[in-house]
Amino acid sequence: MNEPLVILDPTDERAAIGRRLATRPDQLQGTLGIVDIAKPRGDVFLDEIERLIRGRLPALDVIRLKKPTYTKPSPTSLRDEVGARCQAVIQALAD
Amino acid sequence: MSDLPGPGAKAPTFSLTTPAGAPVVFRDEPVASTLLVFFKHDCDTCHLTLPLVERLQNTLSPAGLRVVGISQDGTDDTARVVTRHSLTFTVALDDHLEVSADYGFDAVPALVLTGPNRAILASFEGFTRPDLRNLTEAAAAACDTQPPHLVHDGDGLPEHRPGCCSKVHDPDVARRLAVRRGASTLGARRVQVPIDDDPFEFMSSQGLDDGLPVVPPTEARVLRMLEGTRRAASDIVAHVPPNLAPATVEKIAVNAVMAGCRPEYLPVVIAATEAACTDEFNLHGVLATTYFVAPVIVVNGPIRRAIELNCGRNLFGQGFRANATIGRALQLVVRNIGGGKPGGVDMSTLGQPGKFTCCVGELEEASPWEPLHVERGFAADTSTVTVFAGEAPRAIRDQLSRTAHSLGASMGMCLQTMAHPKLAHVGEALLVVCPEHISIFERDGYTKADLRARIQEATARRLRELLPDADCQKGMAMRAVPKALLGPDGLPTAEGLETRFSKFQQDSDILVMVAGGTAGKFSAFLGGWANGAAGSMAVTREILS
Repeated sequence: MNEPLVILDPTDERAAIGRRLATRPDQLQGTLGIVDIAKPRGDVFLDEIERLIRGRLPALDVIRLKKPTYTKPSPTSLRDEVGARCQAVIQALAD
Repeated sequence: MSDLPGPGAKAPTFSLTTPAGAPVVFRDEPVASTLLVFFKHDCDTCHLTLPLVERLQNTLSPAGLRVVGISQDGTDDTARVVTRHSLTFTVALDDHLEVSADYGFDAVPALVLTGPNRAILASFEGFTRPDLRNLTEAAAAACDTQPPHLVHDGDGLPEHRPGCCSKVHDPDVARRLAVRRGASTLGARRVQVPIDDDPFEFMSSQGLDDGLPVVPPTEARVLRMLEGTRRAASDIVAHVPPNLAPATVEKIAVNAVMAGCRPEYLPVVIAATEAACTDEFNLHGVLATTYFVAPVIVVNGPIRRAIELNCGRNLFGQGFRANATIGRALQLVVRNIGGGKPGGVDMSTLGQPGKFTCCVGELEEASPWEPLHVERGFAADTSTVTVFAGEAPRAIRDQLSRTAHSLGASMGMCLQTMAHPKLAHVGEALLVVCPEHISIFERDGYTKADLRARIQEATARRLRELLPDADCQKGMAMRAVPKALLGPDGLPTAEGLETRFSKFQQDSDILVMVAGGTAGKFSAFLGGWANGAAGSMAVTREILS
């Protein structure tokens, strides 16, 4: 008899949830967080970004934040801080 | 324990066929009495009993007894039994064993006598003269006639003889029946493969494989896999990065089936999953890094022999099921449970072939040294897995060294190239010493500590050789240079430039194991990734049954 084959789901059974990008602001205002993921020389790049932004948008409040290490996900405390303090975030990968 | 129903109970209905395909239905019986006889071809007690049942059929069928033989075998074996005993009563096939399971007996032959409305008048399993006499008398009474004398003096029958195990209790059959009857308690979601789809193509299209075909994890296969461990299927072993999804014993078993594991490998896969999901191993980082590394599994202890894990020739190569499938199972756990897939969180630039599978055993029997797991704090007779974030194996070719001093230097010079010759303190390495090389160390009385010290000595380079220069801009980063070696200008002092750095931050960063074929002076090393909290450290866990 040709019965249909039934297999067991090997996954965690959480339906894949597509991640959508956050809505991009039309203009920067409030507090901008610049997050360094702690890759070597990422700070050099972000220093330059910060200098350019401060020059062009002097009214913007710019803060610097940093992950302890690029090899692990951000700690919850850092994510909470970004959420609480920042209206926009720049986070860059450097290599 | 037997659940064969006794007098007063109602016999289950069934619908089977004869070997020729004719229907045999047991439902609303128009006859005075029906005798069901369950048997299998390789049971001597059945062969002893069936001629007596044939006699009963011959004497009582005119009075209204219907006899139905129910064979647990297929067509050919059943036909041989019918011919051997010249059976004239109807014989039906129960080779799917559904009816046998319904009747709940442990042994064959099993005899069930029923009267009107399928009420059971007598039943027994195995052979005993009193039970047979009682059943014969009940059959005769039901047919309103005198009981025949079934057993003749010349038959030479014993007073009693135990039956043989019903095929229902064969392990594979029991699992299959459990699945068909919905008795399995597994919690995983069931996925029906569309009837016209090839199961392998279906699983590939769902992204469940590693690029090679996987074994479809049917419920029966997963139940069989779970027999490899005493742990409950619902036990959570670890939370697997990157999704930090709970890996139950059952989910690990599903992936072990897909990888091709045998049930006895399951405890190794479980222990490897547990070890890889620790904070020290940092599986998330190992997966996400653009670097080469993959979890390399090293197995120590008695289980290596029990599961025939290769520790010898062609150590990292093909051809050994335990090695091939245990490593693959861990990768499938990471992929399917943790959600770590190439192009997703797995961002490796080049990867390495060991990302399909990498599991090896230490050839402890060939080593004069403490095996890896004993060095790491476990008893010699404890079985363990050590997971190490490693590159592919690289050759240490030395056919000329005749002293441990020279061979240790050779190994150091090869290890110097790990990651880059101008980099020091870049993490752990796994050194695999082959049997021909270990014999040189053994002859010279070299300990593991001696070898590590020799490697550190042979790899020591002056800071000025390691710093980036015009010839090669790669080298030790200035931020990695100890402040004590820097002058007021932030640059190394003259004395600092002459300070030597060995390849490894500490001797214990060199993991040493002995393995490989007995011919060939070829050892190997597997480079690691990065030390410390930001990197990955080798982790050892006991394998529990």
